[in-house]
Amino acid sequence: MAEVPERRVARRALQRVVARDGAAEEYLSFCLAGELYGVAITRVREIAIVPPLTQVPRARPEVLGLCSVRGLLVTVLDLRRRLGVAEGPTTRRSRVLLVGGPQEEVLGLFVDEVRQVVLLAPTELEPASVVLGAKTPDHVAAVGRLDGQLLVIIDLKLLLES
Amino acid sequence: MDGIDGAREEFYSEAQELIDTLSRNLLALDAAQKAGLPDPTLINEAFRAVHTLKGLAGLFGSTGTSRLAHATEDLLDELRLGRRELRAELLDPLFRSVDVFTQILLRDKQGLDEPPPTLEPLLSALRGLEQGEVAEQGALEQYALDPGVLAVLTEYEEHRLRASILAGLALYKLRVCFDLTSIDRALDELKERAKPYGEIITYLPTGESPSVDTIELDVLFASAADLSTLVGALGTDRVVVEPIARSRPREGLAPSVLPPAALAPSAPAVPQAGDAAPEVGLERSLKAVSQTVRVDIRKLDHLMNIVGELSLVRSALQRWGERLRAEGHRALVTELQRLGRTFDRRLLELQDGILEVRMVPLGQVFDRLARVLRQVSRELGKDIRLVITGAETELDKLIVEELSDPLMHMIRNAIDHGIEGAEQRRAVGKPAAGTIALNAFQKGNHVMIEIEDDGGGIDAAALVARAVRMGVLDATEASQMSHREALELVFTPGLSTKLEASDVSGRGVGMDVVKTNIARLGGVIDLESEPGIGTKLAITLPTTLAIVSALMVEVAGQIYAVPLAVVSEALAFDGQETRRLEGREVMSLRGASLTLCQLAVHLRLAVAEPAPERRFVVVSGFGARRMGLVVDRLIGQQDIVVKPLGHSLAAVRGFSGATDLGDQRVALVLDVGALIEEVFVLGDAAHDAWRLHG
Repeated sequence: MAEVPERRVARRALQRVVARDGAAEEYLSFCLAGELYGVAITRVREIAIVPPLTQVPRARPEVLGLCSVRGLLVTVLDLRRRLGVAEGPTTRRSRVLLVGGPQEEVLGLFVDEVRQVVLLAPTELEPASVVLGAKTPDHVAAVGRLDGQLLVIIDLKLLLES
Repeated sequence: MDGIDGAREEFYSEAQELIDTLSRNLLALDAAQKAGLPDPTLINEAFRAVHTLKGLAGLFGSTGTSRLAHATEDLLDELRLGRRELRAELLDPLFRSVDVFTQILLRDKQGLDEPPPTLEPLLSALRGLEQGEVAEQGALEQYALDPGVLAVLTEYEEHRLRASILAGLALYKLRVCFDLTSIDRALDELKERAKPYGEIITYLPTGESPSVDTIELDVLFASAADLSTLVGALGTDRVVVEPIARSRPREGLAPSVLPPAALAPSAPAVPQAGDAAPEVGLERSLKAVSQTVRVDIRKLDHLMNIVGELSLVRSALQRWGERLRAEGHRALVTELQRLGRTFDRRLLELQDGILEVRMVPLGQVFDRLARVLRQVSRELGKDIRLVITGAETELDKLIVEELSDPLMHMIRNAIDHGIEGAEQRRAVGKPAAGTIALNAFQKGNHVMIEIEDDGGGIDAAALVARAVRMGVLDATEASQMSHREALELVFTPGLSTKLEASDVSGRGVGMDVVKTNIARLGGVIDLESEPGIGTKLAITLPTTLAIVSALMVEVAGQIYAVPLAVVSEALAFDGQETRRLEGREVMSLRGASLTLCQLAVHLRLAVAEPAPERRFVVVSGFGARRMGLVVDRLIGQQDIVVKPLGHSLAAVRGFSGATDLGDQRVALVLDVGALIEEVFVLGDAAHDAWRLHG
């Protein structure tokens, strides 16, 4: 599978940093309802332009629809509904992240906009409960900062398996 | 990455293969024993499979498998060495071991250490078998054989020798001379040619080879044929056939014609170290070089996806070609197109090749059926012959797997409900033993599987009466039914023709499930039955799972596929009168009532614009369970590739999968069986539940 361009650029720029601090991890940041979120880039297989979606009657409300990515049947979930944030219209910036879900299924995650790949060391992350309060759901793994904005790191495994 | 798991997977599949081999040989042995001709090679093969399984299980620490293999091996060894006579009672525990082996493996796979409850009873049954009695003593004295030869016979060979003499066969010596370089092939050829005439007991080098490049062997051969036949069949310039004389001890005559040494005048007692050639021959024949590789089916799916990606690359290249042409590089484009065509052809071959690798012979599932048949018919005390043809017919691996249960059910039905008891059969002049035929054959793009019995046939009148009693039919409908339609009632849930339920085929749960399962594979099932003559079920299946003919329909702007196998007709629906009956919408169709399902309403589809004036009813369903799906538009018939919905949609009912429409869009495939169930059984309750859900 072709490497995501954003990811390639980021990797080149950050190679030196990685060499200095091996524990740092790459996160893909994206927008949902104006807020910044991030997921470990190792979980993201591909970033796709929103394909035509087929409604699935009777599915859970967060299921946006089904699509085919080069013959692979993919269920697209609306991350906004899953995380309970406001929904805006689909724009030309909207993307679907293809990620590995439970039972080896490839799932699509609808996001409002993909930003960039960031390299964050564990020391740059704070526990979610400290920043966002004790009631933070389990799938919010940590909180980082990017250009003065909060970056909410989501644990996809916990989010998709619950 | 998957070292340990991979090795375990390998163990399971190898063990399963060995169990299958055991099962196959037992079945053949059972048939041979019934015919009175137990073939020693079958016992040997079964023994070898269990022996290998024992070693394998020890290696992987599967104690249950080890213990059972040990006990089974002991019994097979006794049978093989003739210490016990092969009888049906001895075959029973062996057949049971096949099932228990499988149960143990399944439990191992699920990580359960505990052996299945069936293991201990079987082990004690195997242990409790009485010691066999064999009356082979005295047999060898009938021939004056060289003690030197007798000393080198293995226990097995000696048993075969005794058994052959007792069976009244004559002994012959074949003196053969082979080139050392081609001895394996030459021996195999000799075995092949000799097999129809008798059995090779052993062969020993004479030590008198005429040259260093050749080896001379004496082959001890037991046969019912006379000398001239054998000379004609086997004799060549390199194979000399001689009889071995009887010593006739009973008549008190001294051995006269040939001295005992005739067999092997100077045979060395043990093959000497430098004399390794015949040993090599034996080794080779035991380790038949395998040409096959086991592959996880997911790896093939992965390859198939790569083919999909390659075709994408191919269309990108084509677009580049068009750009080059626009810029005036005509010659380059022509060359590019030529390469492109070759690429396409090869890609198609690759795709076909992968599909072909997924094909496995139906024999795999037929063997399992034969085992069930044997067991069930013994339980019921019915004597039934199974005749299998076309076991080599191939189908996609997934289809074969999915077929196992439905076929099993049909076979059980045939044994339990189809074949009559022996007295009843004699009374109508049929042979006491019933026959069930299992035929498979290729027919165009499809594979047909037929299950035919020569039993009593289905009592259509009883079926209809029962259906009326259960309220599935009303009296008028019942009176208008054709014989064929009446037979179709077999597929109605809850109808069983035999009044008393039995352990074997249960209580009328089944044929409807069978039909649904077959339909899910894109297949159709047909039923023919003549009272007193028998019943035939014919299943038509696509050869590859993926491709199904479907009727594409549109409802509320969405496209759905209805598998053609469940569609009986489609008709225009422009405001015909409908009425409500027990909460269902019903219309009349040629005098009968047809329940309707307004798909847009039933699936709670968001309707953007009002439905068109003229709509369509797609009549679909099985047997008496028919329903009219009301749709906006018929798009047409299409062969589609059905893909299963992912884990994330596992809870969604009413769809059996989805298909790519080619333009990145997908269409859901309706699971008509499930929809009918909702409308008929669950009725409006289900409807409301969905409303709450959505």
